[in-house]
Formats: sequence, structure tokens, C-alpha cells
Amino acid sequence: MDYETYAPLASWFEATWMGEQMRNIFWLFPAMETVHFIGLTIMFGSLLVIDVRVIGFGRFINMRAALKFIPVAIAAFTVNLLSGIAFLCADPFRYFPNIAFQWKMGLIVIAGLNALWFWFGEHKELQQLADGEDAEFRAKVIAALSIAIWVVVIVFGRMIPYVEY
Amino acid sequence: MGFLVWLEESSLGIFIRESLWGYPIVLSSHAVGMATVMGVVVALNFRALGYAKDISMLAFDKLFIIGWIGFVINLVSGLILFCNTPTTYFFQGSFQLKIAFIVAGGILMKVVMNNVRGVGAEDMMKVYSGACIACWFGGVITGRLMAYL
Repeated sequence: MDYETYAPLASWFEATWMGEQMRNIFWLFPAMETVHFIGLTIMFGSLLVIDVRVIGFGRFINMRAALKFIPVAIAAFTVNLLSGIAFLCADPFRYFPNIAFQWKMGLIVIAGLNALWFWFGEHKELQQLADGEDAEFRAKVIAALSIAIWVVVIVFGRMIPYVEY
Repeated sequence: MGFLVWLEESSLGIFIRESLWGYPIVLSSHAVGMATVMGVVVALNFRALGYAKDISMLAFDKLFIIGWIGFVINLVSGLILFCNTPTTYFFQGSFQLKIAFIVAGGILMKVVMNNVRGVGAEDMMKVYSGACIACWFGGVITGRLMAYL
């Protein structure tokens, strides 16, 4: 990304109250990191329950009960969105040009579209599944994509400090 | 101490310190393994604490297998990362706490699963489960703070 493209936006993030707090309170950045990690594990765990059921590996997990993990995943995602924005505010000129960060953000958008597809395309049908019953192939593809994309999101997130130039 | 020095000077220690991509790749695996094992721990304990009660705990056992896969990924990647600077990590308070949390969390997870499978008293299960999840989160927090403390 060109410097001219992201500079105005980055300046705006940098000047926010959050950015100032993140830079001035020495323990806030590490604290947010631990929050981000805990949010990550809760979100990934919730997705695992749903995806493992849909893929069929855990086909005796009650489908309707598994879907109760959707709000948990959304709550955990919100925690990570907010802590993520805090990192961004702390040092936006570092994140915007970072290739791992860019890929991570792009993949999160794709994961979001995949989740919308799951919700609007498959959710209703899946609720009717009896214990032990196989989901449609389409739904299995979405579930497998969900796990794969989030794994890569985690990898790119972890790579952010290592691809700086 | 002699062993730690030997480990640090081993070819694995040299590789993880000096190779350009070795460290980030192993560290990423450690994050993915963490998400897997912690994800399973979180889900199982949510269930043990009474959330999504309609899931039979026995069906959840499948998830336990995935948790073990995550654990093995992290044991292996963790040992490789440890070879980076074992003489520092071994004496680092946050590292020692992390390992203690994981050991305690592992034992508690076993206790919770025993309860779930019908061995032991059920009334204590939620206490064990709460303690279990606290230990594992403690492991994540102290692990992250190893970079700072």
C-alpha cells in the first residue's frame, strides 16, 4: 500500500485517545495482547465445536446445542476486534504497510463472508439435523473453510512482527 | 545447568536462533496449537459449567482428540522454542509459572473429564472446571508475558 493512501487514515488512528493511552501506559499493550490471545482461544474453540459437528467428525454433538456457540464466537470476536483496534491505534504507521497485517485483514473479511454464507445459507437447515446425521456437503465445505481461514489468520497475526522492513 | 547450556549450543538451538524463518514459523505453529488446545479446553469447560447442556459430554470426547493434537503441536514447537535460550527461559518466573499452570490445568482437565464420564462426584465438577479454565488462561497470560517479564 502506498504511503499516501494510508497516511491520512493512519494519522487519524494515531491521534485517537486510545492510541495515546496505548503508547503512554506501559502495561496496556501487553495487557491487550493477553486479552487478544484469550479472545482468540475462546473464538477458535467455539468455531471448533460448530465446525467439527458440521464436518462430521463430531457428528453426535447435538447440532442445535452446538449452534449456541455462535454468540460466544461473536462475543469473543468483538473482544478481539476492539483489542485489535487498540493495537492499530498504538502504531498505525507500523500496521498499515505490514504485509502480514494486510493479509490478515483480508482473510478476516473472507472469513466473515464465509460466516454470513453459513448463517443465511445453511443455518436453518442444519438446525433440523438429528444427532449423528450428516450435514450437506456444502455446509461441510463452509465449516472446513472456516477452520482453515482462521488458522491462517492466526499465522499471519503472529507473523506481523517478523515481516517489517 | 550443563544440560541447558548443551541444549542452547545444540544444532536445534542454533537453528532456531539463526535461521531467518525458523523462529517465526515455529512460533506461528505454537499460536495455532494454542488456539486448538485452548479452544477445546474452553469449549469442554463451558459445557462442564452448564453451557449448551444439550451436547452430550460423550459426543464432546471427539473434541478431546483434537485438543490432544493441539497439545502435541505445542509440546513439540514449545520444546524447539525453548532451545532458543534455555539458560534464560528456565530461570524466568513467567516461564516457570506458565509450565505450572499448564501442568495444573492438564490435571484438572483430566479430573473434569473423569467427572463427565461418571467417575467421581458431580457436585464438585463445576469447581474443578472453573479452576481448570483459570489455569489454562493463566498459562496463556504468563506465556504472552514471557516476552516482557
